[in-house]
Amino acid sequence: MAPGGGVGRVRGLLASDDDEPNVAVVLLAAGVAAAVLSPLLWLFVSAADLSVGDAVGLVASGTTTDVLVNSLALVTLVTGASIALGVPLAVLTVQTDLPFRRLWTVLAALPLVVPSYIGAFAYVSAFGPSGALPDLLAEYGLGFVNAYIPTVYGLGGTALVLTLFTYPYVFLTTRASLLSFDTTQLEAARTLNHSYPRAFRRVILPQIAPGVTAGALLVALYTLSDFGTPAIMRFDVFTRVIYVELNSFGVGRANATLLSIQLLAVTAVILALESRVSGDTAAGYGTPSSAKRVVSLGWLRWPAAGIPAFVSVFTLALPVGILTMWLVRSGPGYSGGGLAFRPEFATNSAYVAVLTAAATVLFALPVAYYAGRSDSLLARAVDRATYLGYAMPGVVLGLALVFFSSRWLLETFGAGAAQLVYQSLPLLVFAYVVRFLPQAVGSTRSSVLGVDRDLVGAARLLGANPRSAFRRVTLPLISPGLLAGAALVFLTTMKELDTTLILHPTGFTTIVTYIWRVQEAGYYGRAALPALVLVAVSGLSMIPLLKGSDDA
Amino acid sequence: MTDDATHDHMSDDDTTTGRRTYRRRRVLAGLGAAGAAGLAGCGGLGGSESDSGSGGGGGGAGGGSSGDDAIGAAFDDFRGSGPLAQGRSDIGGTRIADLPNLSGELTIYLGGGEGGLYRDLLAKFERIYPDFTATPRESGSADAANTIINEGGATPADVFWSVDAGALAAVSAEGLSAELPSEVVDPVPEAFHPDETWVGTAGRARAVPYNTEELSDDDIPDSVMEFPEVEGFRDAIGWAPTYGAFQSFVTAMRLLEGEDATREWLQGMLDAGVTEYNNEFLVSNSVADGALNGGLANHYYALRVQAARPDAPIDLAFTSGDAGGLINVAGASVLSASRNQELAFDFVRHLLSAEAQEFFATRTYSYPMVADIPPVGGLPPVSELNPPSIDLRELSDIQPTLELMRDVGVL
Repeated sequence: MAPGGGVGRVRGLLASDDDEPNVAVVLLAAGVAAAVLSPLLWLFVSAADLSVGDAVGLVASGTTTDVLVNSLALVTLVTGASIALGVPLAVLTVQTDLPFRRLWTVLAALPLVVPSYIGAFAYVSAFGPSGALPDLLAEYGLGFVNAYIPTVYGLGGTALVLTLFTYPYVFLTTRASLLSFDTTQLEAARTLNHSYPRAFRRVILPQIAPGVTAGALLVALYTLSDFGTPAIMRFDVFTRVIYVELNSFGVGRANATLLSIQLLAVTAVILALESRVSGDTAAGYGTPSSAKRVVSLGWLRWPAAGIPAFVSVFTLALPVGILTMWLVRSGPGYSGGGLAFRPEFATNSAYVAVLTAAATVLFALPVAYYAGRSDSLLARAVDRATYLGYAMPGVVLGLALVFFSSRWLLETFGAGAAQLVYQSLPLLVFAYVVRFLPQAVGSTRSSVLGVDRDLVGAARLLGANPRSAFRRVTLPLISPGLLAGAALVFLTTMKELDTTLILHPTGFTTIVTYIWRVQEAGYYGRAALPALVLVAVSGLSMIPLLKGSDDA
Repeated sequence: MTDDATHDHMSDDDTTTGRRTYRRRRVLAGLGAAGAAGLAGCGGLGGSESDSGSGGGGGGAGGGSSGDDAIGAAFDDFRGSGPLAQGRSDIGGTRIADLPNLSGELTIYLGGGEGGLYRDLLAKFERIYPDFTATPRESGSADAANTIINEGGATPADVFWSVDAGALAAVSAEGLSAELPSEVVDPVPEAFHPDETWVGTAGRARAVPYNTEELSDDDIPDSVMEFPEVEGFRDAIGWAPTYGAFQSFVTAMRLLEGEDATREWLQGMLDAGVTEYNNEFLVSNSVADGALNGGLANHYYALRVQAARPDAPIDLAFTSGDAGGLINVAGASVLSASRNQELAFDFVRHLLSAEAQEFFATRTYSYPMVADIPPVGGLPPVSELNPPSIDLRELSDIQPTLELMRDVGVL
């Protein structure tokens, strides 16, 4: 894969041709950004109905300030804690001689497949009032301890649960950076008598920082957009308050619009900050492995394995245990109605998630290619723009698309157009693309950055036109990044609830809509099996995410 | 306690001790003793023990639907199973056989849907009418309402059937609901269709589940506002403040008694050592376990507990004329953009048929909206309850309620 010296020499010949992507790519990328931003226009259409006085009053109100402060506190805590958890786990599993590294790698990444609303529910059932833990303690005569257990609700609990189920974003991006890190540099540092910690700080950290930041950004934006956890853990952040406002109708709808616009502004600020922190050499999830175990833990080998094991107790054993408890324990005493769980729901989920993964990669490719090949302001703006939809609560995005694909289409193009588009599968897939595009853009862009331009130059020199050079050289090289992005999108689509509920084609039941249906009526026992199926199917998508580690 | 003595005075005693009398009836109905004795108690209210299968119910159904045997036989199909659904013979109301046939297709937005029970009912209608197809679409009741509001005139929905009256009112306020003909709404008391744009299909009452081994009905005041001072509730009452129905109850209190009194009440309950639960099933279950003496919950949770554990020492009290006695409803609207309005009206009439009302009463333990169909388990009929006079549409104004609850530290 390394470029030959001869090729290097002809780089100059082709540099002018290859440095900037051609107009078609730019237009495609800008088109994608415009398409995924378009639903957000709805917020401004709705806001236009408000009087300026009301709007200013709402924005300046005490509640709004509280919500902003709460949201920022939560994002800061979750992002910080995810880095604190994800980076050491990545270092342990990539760079040390930890026993069963592959197992720990899988277990450390797996919490990503647990939907946050299930994770939060499991935590409330375990630690909440009259939960499993207080009951257990009381049973063994330790009831007095309960008074000292901090409440699971509020900032602490919300941050804990979100961290436990989103830190894998940081883990995965950091891991990819570490895998593509040239370990000879570390060895050089060690020969200069640097201890490992010192070498880590001076050599490794600067190089993996972009990868860590990329993961941290996904965590931060996911935290802003997540509704389930703060709702269940009762912490007033943007999503929860927006939802409550939407529930109270009337003026609430206007409030929800304004809060969503504020959320959008917060997202924009975070994106701008991240741009300044990270150089544009962010690593993705699928860069090829160059890892060698470089640190011998010595006698600490086995005790160190306790760290990922300990984390897994809280991220995997506990939620799965609670689900199993629900499954075994009989539900409340009246016969529930409705459909029993059918395998078809799982295939529906997987089907739409595969479609979404494919569509997202197609949308991501021009954006990532453009952003990876150009340093222009437009490239940067296009790349960042795709992240805005990711921080929108699913319910807001869903309602925006309801407006455009039904009323707006009807009024603009007639009833036929609205009927064709509204509540169709392609519309649902588009909604998912808007939500999850950044997950694919990030990993694809870093693989584009990883492609040596001299190789493309060589192909051109040998007579290939740009298209053919892309197909025969670039595409195969970035395919691991594409696949990793697709896998990430697949598993987040599998667990996305709000958008699915609002936009699914009528009669199209998926695992999550089924879980919602039975859980809404309090039949937790009947939610357990589909939840376990969801976790299992999503778990399979971890395979491409973790490929590229050839360690045992 | 002198159950039998007061029992006879039930009907002429409504204004003063009415609340107690129907509790007494429930003691007879549900808790007399375990097993056979419990069933015998049920029998006292209507049917007999021979009602396994089509016995008790079939007789009543046959009488009402003489025109169509197939539909008459189907009556039991609508009725739930279990002890609380037994011995119900004197069912009035309009039978499906007496309603216009359903033929055609309807798209029905379900706001909520009680875990699929609404779908079950639709499937039963489809079995009765081969030419009828109902396409349900489920989401949360507020999501569904907001979806319809965003769709405006482009909505594919013919009917909006929601577990929450506030959602129906929100759609109606946007001018998107059609006016229901009088033959649709007439069987339902006016409180449950404040205007003609929606009609209640089943009700749920706020109630006070209490442990019969710890408290007697006399210990529970008629007014929920007095609860913080009740000795028997000190450190032994439970609630579920995150539950929507509880928040509606606090909203009702806020509207009826004012913000200050509500704040005082919430604080008083905290001072009285109220225990918090995640949902009202757990509250009711803890009352049955004896962990609590009493609680605040929707009425049907105690019945769910009782259906699972027939000898559990749990009973229900209802407060009178205040937020504690609030009755909220699920209901249905027909959308003005629908091109199948006639069919949709007939469909809503089917939701109010004796069979459908029996379905809600015996499977979800809801309050039937039609007076001729009694609630299960010896519950007092809707006409004997004394709910506060409050416009259910105002219950969607929960934001100030949440702020208040947060302020006091309940949330």
